Amino acid sequence: MSDNIWQKEITLKDILKVLELLRRGFISLAKYIVDPIRNLLSKLGYKLAIYVFLVPSLGFISLFYLVPFILTFLIGMTAMDFTFKWDWVGLANYIRILNDSFAPKIMGNTLFYVFTTLTLFNVGMALVVSLITNHIPDHIGSAVRGIWLLPRITPSTVYALLWLWAARGEENALINWFLTITGLSMVIPTRTWILDDPWVIVILVNGFVGTSFGMIVFTAALKSIPEDYYRAAKVDGASTWDIIRYVELPMIKWPLLFVTAYQTLSLLTSFEYILILTDGGPGLYTTEVWSLYSYHKAFRSYGGTVEIGYGAALATILVIIGVIMSLIYWRIFKFKEMMVEPKIEV
Amino acid sequence: MRRKGQVTVQALVFLIIGLLVGAAIGYFAAPKGDPTLLDQLNEKDQLIEQLRNELNQIKDQLDQLKQGSTITLKVWAIGPDPPSEYRYKNFELAADVLNMMLRDLGANVTVEVEGQFFARPVEWEQYRQNFYQAFAAGEAPDIYLTGHEDIGYLAANDFIIPLDDYIEEYWDLIYYDFFPTLWKSVEYAGQKWGVPQDTEARPLYFRKDVLRQLGWSEEEINALPEKIKNGEFTLEDLLQVAKEAVDAGLVERGLVHRVKEGYDYLQFYIAYGGKLYNPQTGKMVFNTTAWGLTLDWFYRAVWEYGVISPNQFSGDWDADFHGPFTEGRALFLSGGTWHKGEWINKGLLTEEEFIEVVGYALHPAAKPGGKPVTLSHPLVYTITTQARERGLDKLAFIMITLVSLPTFNSIHAVQSAHLAIARSQISETKYSQDWFLADVAYMLEYTTFIPNHPDWGKYSRVVFDALRAVETGDMTPDEALDFMVNELQSQIPDSIEFVE
Repeated sequence: MSDNIWQKEITLKDILKVLELLRRGFISLAKYIVDPIRNLLSKLGYKLAIYVFLVPSLGFISLFYLVPFILTFLIGMTAMDFTFKWDWVGLANYIRILNDSFAPKIMGNTLFYVFTTLTLFNVGMALVVSLITNHIPDHIGSAVRGIWLLPRITPSTVYALLWLWAARGEENALINWFLTITGLSMVIPTRTWILDDPWVIVILVNGFVGTSFGMIVFTAALKSIPEDYYRAAKVDGASTWDIIRYVELPMIKWPLLFVTAYQTLSLLTSFEYILILTDGGPGLYTTEVWSLYSYHKAFRSYGGTVEIGYGAALATILVIIGVIMSLIYWRIFKFKEMMVEPKIEV
Repeated sequence: MRRKGQVTVQALVFLIIGLLVGAAIGYFAAPKGDPTLLDQLNEKDQLIEQLRNELNQIKDQLDQLKQGSTITLKVWAIGPDPPSEYRYKNFELAADVLNMMLRDLGANVTVEVEGQFFARPVEWEQYRQNFYQAFAAGEAPDIYLTGHEDIGYLAANDFIIPLDDYIEEYWDLIYYDFFPTLWKSVEYAGQKWGVPQDTEARPLYFRKDVLRQLGWSEEEINALPEKIKNGEFTLEDLLQVAKEAVDAGLVERGLVHRVKEGYDYLQFYIAYGGKLYNPQTGKMVFNTTAWGLTLDWFYRAVWEYGVISPNQFSGDWDADFHGPFTEGRALFLSGGTWHKGEWINKGLLTEEEFIEVVGYALHPAAKPGGKPVTLSHPLVYTITTQARERGLDKLAFIMITLVSLPTFNSIHAVQSAHLAIARSQISETKYSQDWFLADVAYMLEYTTFIPNHPDWGKYSRVVFDALRAVETGDMTPDEALDFMVNELQSQIPDSIEFVE
């Protein structure tokens, strides 16, 4: 064997040696960088240090949230179309929204959609699934939760199209087939679901996906409740229901409020499934929600003349509603307290 | 005591510093007027280098010429019905012919066509959106096929270039032969902004077999198109017959119309005496009475006669438009000539079945003795301003001229059941053998176009919303009329005139 270093066999020991050298190198390098910063900060003070550390995230927030919002707000004051010209019209778009014949109906749709999907699925169903899977053997619970995550990892178009096929009018379409073979069709007659009951399908499709987010958060919260609490409750003769009512629910109050707030804002702006399923129909804006209306106005026009300015004004209204909702949640749910002292580890 | 090595290094450093100082003094102290011998030599070297570069460039160009250069032309066209693919494919065929000629002439240039034909599921909305976004990105096609009604907007906003000079230049080749009315569809602000690609008529199709079952004799069935032409069968009669067929359980639907926004339903407004455009003022026209009657007709068709589904505008093209009619579950279909091509191509009907069970006529007049109607929506080839920036506008126009020749255009016309654009096309072998196209040609005498107005899209949208609201029962005809007036007055007050 030659003595040439490149032909020498490299052992695990060699690798460890190199890693150790690298580690030391990085530590000394970090020392040279961190120490002067630390010294500087200690001179400048604690408060300034907070701001310095916040700069990167503030930068990202500005770049991806604040700047787009300002742009949307500004475009909302123009009559921009596909020429992408900034023709300023002041508040004309907002005055038009006030006079828009369909705005009240669409706002009503939006509130109905957000409230129903949120209570029935994104919080309600998520809570039920988490509690049930927490009270059954863990391997079965995990499997159920795993299956429930499938829609979340399926491309949204595929997921929505599968539902669309299931909800068609033929007897052999999945939902009608299920109702027929189970005999449920005696109670719930088969129909063209997407035309006859579009809201049912829209809420189910969004709900089954939305459930998974709350489910994960709630399950994580439930898992972190110390075992002692359960034992103590059982010793005191508590039933499963009592455990849920007096131990688990109070302990996951904060995650519950967080998911409610987060999912409200998320539902307020989500429209992709509605776009694929009903495109706001059937009929006249039957399932059109505000965000979809904004999209339709800004980007879709058979006659070729889109209204990006008007669409942006509609989107601005949505942002304002979102901010107001956040502030309401902040006050009602006392998020400030939650931020100060975590009540439970998630 | 100093080491020997250190002394040597110091000596070297001093030497280099000395040289640098000397050179600097020499540079500043040297007379500036006459070039030194060194300068002259340098100058010569530079000249030689420059010459060498230029020679290399010329050599590259010669090499390129030897290999031949390729000019790529970007073309976008849409169906969205798949049989209309020759709106794009004809450019490839024309490029082959052109390249053959260029090769025979020994010209080292090849024209290559790249681009896309857009078909369903891509609809017009998406196609137009793609175009405007591509344009904003500087990647617009050189040739853009679109509906003639887009010309107002495209021209007013510098998306396309006027073609009058080019059309004049090639007038004697083919354009003299175009049907004169088609040129009106490409005019805006006194100039021509496109070349008509095709046109069509919108017939009212009817199922002969259903009428037979209703007790109509063969003579009565065959006479229906003529009766409609003479104003003897009106829109009211249409409702009545459709209701009879539905009531008799012969069909599920009396009439099916398009399932998305479009222009077909404007024919009913025109039948009620409505006008869309006033050439004197350059404004679009809203005829209140005609719109009121149109909305009322659709309302009655859905809610009194039960012949149109309230969800027709939310339907699916196959399940709620083609399917019901070609399977004999609907009596009437308000469609276009191209639908015949689509049914045959999709295998929904054979040519023989079509002859046996399908009839076609104009859309009926509103009142007895009135004028029946149809609507034409010529598609047009336009050349983008970006093509001119790329220096490709002339080539683009030559290619459009080639595909406008009867030989090429007839391939498209026959396959997709669209009508001829030039008189000589009528006698072109392929076209003349298509009996259907010959049969519907008379409809063009009753046709009308939609306006080339930049705000047409907004008018169209309001019409669609109102009709849809009436059909779904969300609005009464009166409410829908008020809605239309209010919307148009607030959105495009300067572009529209309201008449009784």
